[in-house]
Amino acid sequence: MKHRLSMGVSALAIVVGSLLATGVASAGQVDSARIEANDPADWLTYHGTYKGYDYSALDQINAGNVKDLQVAWSHIPGHSTRGLQSMPLVADGILFYTGSYSRTFALDGATGALKWSFLPELDDALVSRQTHSPYTRGLALGEGKAFVGTVDGRLFGLDAATGKVIWETKLIDSQKLTVGFTGAPLYAKGTVIIGAQGGEWPYKGPIFAVDAATGKKKWEFDTAGGDSDEAKKTWGNDTWRVGGGGGWMPGTYDSATNAVWWGTANPSPLYDWSGADYKTKGARPGDNLYTSSVVALDVDTGKLKFYHQELPHDAWDFDSAPGEFISIDRDGKNYMVHPNKSGFIFVYDRSNAKVENVWPLITNYNFVKTIDPKTGELIGRKDFTEGKADGILCPHISGGVSWNSGSYNPKNGLYYKIGQEWCMTLTVSKTTPVTEPQAQLNIGADFKIAKPPTGEIYGHLDARDPITGAKKWEVKFPEPPMASVLSTGGNLVFVPDSRGTLHAYNADTGAELWSHSDGVGHQGGIISYSAGGKQFIAVTAGFGGMASDDFGPTFGEPYKSMPRDEGVLMVYSLK
Amino acid sequence: MKRFFILLAVAFSSPSFADDAPADRKPIDVPQLFATTCGWCHSNAGRAEGKGPQLMNTARSDDFIRNRIKNGKEGKMPAFGASFSDADIDAIIAYIHALKPE
Repeated sequence: MKHRLSMGVSALAIVVGSLLATGVASAGQVDSARIEANDPADWLTYHGTYKGYDYSALDQINAGNVKDLQVAWSHIPGHSTRGLQSMPLVADGILFYTGSYSRTFALDGATGALKWSFLPELDDALVSRQTHSPYTRGLALGEGKAFVGTVDGRLFGLDAATGKVIWETKLIDSQKLTVGFTGAPLYAKGTVIIGAQGGEWPYKGPIFAVDAATGKKKWEFDTAGGDSDEAKKTWGNDTWRVGGGGGWMPGTYDSATNAVWWGTANPSPLYDWSGADYKTKGARPGDNLYTSSVVALDVDTGKLKFYHQELPHDAWDFDSAPGEFISIDRDGKNYMVHPNKSGFIFVYDRSNAKVENVWPLITNYNFVKTIDPKTGELIGRKDFTEGKADGILCPHISGGVSWNSGSYNPKNGLYYKIGQEWCMTLTVSKTTPVTEPQAQLNIGADFKIAKPPTGEIYGHLDARDPITGAKKWEVKFPEPPMASVLSTGGNLVFVPDSRGTLHAYNADTGAELWSHSDGVGHQGGIISYSAGGKQFIAVTAGFGGMASDDFGPTFGEPYKSMPRDEGVLMVYSLK
Repeated sequence: MKRFFILLAVAFSSPSFADDAPADRKPIDVPQLFATTCGWCHSNAGRAEGKGPQLMNTARSDDFIRNRIKNGKEGKMPAFGASFSDADIDAIIAYIHALKPE
């Protein structure tokens, strides 16, 4: 035992020594193989690895000692309009993260010392005309570069060692279309993939791929109308042209099938007046492929390999774009688990997106009676006609889940995910898409938040079997947490809540073990990494996204006085 | 010379209150505008506080509202100056003042 310990220590010393020597210079040397190899010291892609677990195997911080967790360092990015919504990345002890206006930083992961910053000049006049803006939810690393998108429709490839611009590619005419990029890109196999905002906006919702080395566009997949006449036929009156769609959160890469899985956004207008006859009547007659779907695209060509449309003719803005993609192998089967914004969790066969199971995370839903767990068919769907809708619609337009990520812990097989219980009243109108002089939102209804039938609005962290949905435990929150969660090999689950408190729970039992206030609500990412042999937990704090806009009027304090233009990266460790 | 007078006539006939907003289209349908765009933040067609403030019974002056619609507010409301003419904004303000509970 003593012999093995000393071997480990000297090996660690060699590793630490070489890391300190290379530092920033090696930090961007990331490729798909390295992402798949998953050294727990790093966090190389948005969800940790392509498996999408949002999980760290590190256990230096664990259920036994987390009570001693304390602030190690912090960083304030500045100009944090709409808070701080991003997921940091770490490679070789260097932490990279983005703030609003695509401000991008590289910091020493152990001390917080700044290595470089990239502060792009955006089109301020355009930004002032946007709604879902100016946040950037993260970046990607690959081949010595850091990739970040902007709300004015550009994608940058930066030198990861210096922050200097290597290439800049304009992908969207945001002046005309109003939308750009708010999501993090995905690096996979020499390619950088990023999806446009779009669901509410009358365009065709493109997902782009560019060459990582040159920034040159490789392919584009239009989620509204897609790749074929057959898909366009699912939009009556050629409404795919103003169909919405998009794919505004990063998907994942499955090297076994050479595919990127991506969640697509909702069609436009959000609320239709078709009534039950949505296939032939209303604003966009038909199933509206490939909106509110999961699509698997060949990473080299962008060709559609297979797909499943989670919500045919989505009439509720419950897009497939927000959810993470979790690869789980169990009992000889390969699954892909994907939460739909409605709060229903879809479980697919990873080889072909055939539905294996569908289970509800939330209690309050009535947009359907249920979803058939064997086929994914919507049973008892609620389609509206023009005028005031009877009763309430559940869940609320902010969803049964939002884009904040859940976490899968491979040690205990549990999936940790925030569920949201809230509803709405609405009055549906016939609207006309506005595309001149620039595109405007096309909602299709006036609406208002409402309490669910069970009583007060609330949120909950569930610990569930990801395949069957069986619930192990649940922690309730008076207001839904809007940040991503993290689970670790130290038997911990970290939940950054909306009031501003970071909680740590026992991953097996849900017992709260530690908490600390970060000073402002959380609405971004959380990761764990190690630098210099020490484990850190890094979380972004800063409230102000779209769904959180309702918190002040709905809940009062602390949200009434909470700033919506502040943000800080908080980093914790043991002493 | 004739071309010069035509150009002059055009220059004086199109008021440039909003650079891009077409001056000769139909008057704006404000209830439809709310169901299309404004209602995203101004709940229940402007009757309730939501993502944005309640517009019904607003204490704000017409000048304040006009300025806010044209210029927006960073991180809160988009600038619609390029999309609406002064006549459009007059109609929106009239709609706001006429709002009653359901």
